[in-house]
Amino acid sequence: MEQLAIILMDGLVYASWLFLISAGLTLIYGVLRILNLAHGSLYALGAYAAASAVLFYFDRGLWPPGSYVALLGAALIIGIVAGPLIERGLLRWIYGRDPVYQLLATYALFLILEDGMKLVWGVNPYYAYRPYGLLGTVQLGGIPYPGYSILLIGVALLAGGGLSLFIRFTRIGRLVVAIIHDPEISVALGANVSRLFLLTFTLGTILAALGGAFTAPMISVVPGLSVEVIVLAFAVVVIGGLGSLEGSVIGALLVGVVRSLMVHRIPELELFAIYLVMALVLLFRPQGLFAIEEVRRV
Amino acid sequence: MLELENVHVSLRGFPILRGVSLEVPAGRIIGLVGRNGAGKTTTLRAIMGLAPVRSGAIRFAGEDLTRLPAHRRAGLGIGYVPEDRRLIGPLTVEENLLLPAWAIGMREAPDRLRWIYRLMPEVQELAGRRAAQLSGGQQKMVALARALMAGSRLLLLDEPFEGLSPALALRIGEILQVLRSEGLGVLLAESDLHRVSALAERVYTIERGEIVQENASIGGI
Repeated sequence: MEQLAIILMDGLVYASWLFLISAGLTLIYGVLRILNLAHGSLYALGAYAAASAVLFYFDRGLWPPGSYVALLGAALIIGIVAGPLIERGLLRWIYGRDPVYQLLATYALFLILEDGMKLVWGVNPYYAYRPYGLLGTVQLGGIPYPGYSILLIGVALLAGGGLSLFIRFTRIGRLVVAIIHDPEISVALGANVSRLFLLTFTLGTILAALGGAFTAPMISVVPGLSVEVIVLAFAVVVIGGLGSLEGSVIGALLVGVVRSLMVHRIPELELFAIYLVMALVLLFRPQGLFAIEEVRRV
Repeated sequence: MLELENVHVSLRGFPILRGVSLEVPAGRIIGLVGRNGAGKTTTLRAIMGLAPVRSGAIRFAGEDLTRLPAHRRAGLGIGYVPEDRRLIGPLTVEENLLLPAWAIGMREAPDRLRWIYRLMPEVQELAGRRAAQLSGGQQKMVALARALMAGSRLLLLDEPFEGLSPALALRIGEILQVLRSEGLGVLLAESDLHRVSALAERVYTIERGEIVQENASIGGI
């Protein structure tokens, strides 16, 4: 019983982490129709920026709990600077083009960002663990659990909840839904699609950077972070259905719990199990669990 | 009010429109009749900025639309009803109607919505339903209502009667006559000449991307 609880908690933490990354990826795909291979690099940028911000913060001897604001600030800065730069500088030239061009262009961006990060941060690992230790452990039904992991769940809930409220209850959010379903008619109805693309990509970048920033204290930040992340995020969005936010929640939960179960029971199959789930979902629902809904044609 | 002058459109190197010229004055219903593939839809799409104009000019109320970004045309008072309705499935009917108002930031949106509901009470009854749940005929009505939100001066309709029951087709005809009396210009693309000639003052016939005939019709008042 106790082990089941731990498996579920670990799964939930892993799902929160996956959700932060895949929500941005699926949102960007849904609106811009571009599968951004460089999405993992945005996550890594967030992690590096946050690690630097935290180390700088503690070097100054400032009030330790304020380091969480430094994590958040680093993610926002990366999102607000890198998002528009990439969207205006690269993506807007490849909208509507053959997916092969788009994949090549975002793969090139991935390579450029990887080397760019090595240029700025070098190849040695960064350890920004202090925010992790600050929260100590909490007792969950008698089981000690790292407080920081609970914080990560909270960040994912807040980000997901905020995104969902934004999409459901704001005019811009409703326009984003319209563009996801029919970009052309949205333009004919007066939507400035180019501005909404910019906004969406920036939002997706902030989510990825947020994932990276809040993961930084749990890991050593090293080159190569992007690759591991992008492959898993693809599995999540494919399971959930490309372009579907609800899908990314369910996909993240499914992958999170399955991975956690395997880590605790059959660690050799940790990665295999994730792709087995993906293959099974695709076998029965090739469009993923939550495909974009169509209106009736007759 | 709307004027197309010698408009050429090519898609993937193939000429689709070859020198289309036509005129839609305010307060008039103008028909554009032709078979499937003759260029009716492309003409409407070119007016909305959704098909690239290679040469020629599109003017609306003295403004040159030819190079105007597509999303700025709705704000000039042009509403478009595509042939396949293209409602946004997960949004409610009322949200679909309000989309143009949100997109162009219309201040008078609540008044306009009330006006639309008065004109089409059958749409108001559907207001809270999700568009994905509507029948084809209901979708046509909602698509027309949505086009009226921004389309205060000109309405472009692509096969609005296709697949409708006779009663519903009659109802749409009735609504179009009210709109004409309120001063809207209407460009009505149809493959069935009889449907159009009962409503339109003037009918252009399009064949293989060219206007081949221009007739005053009997339907005009």
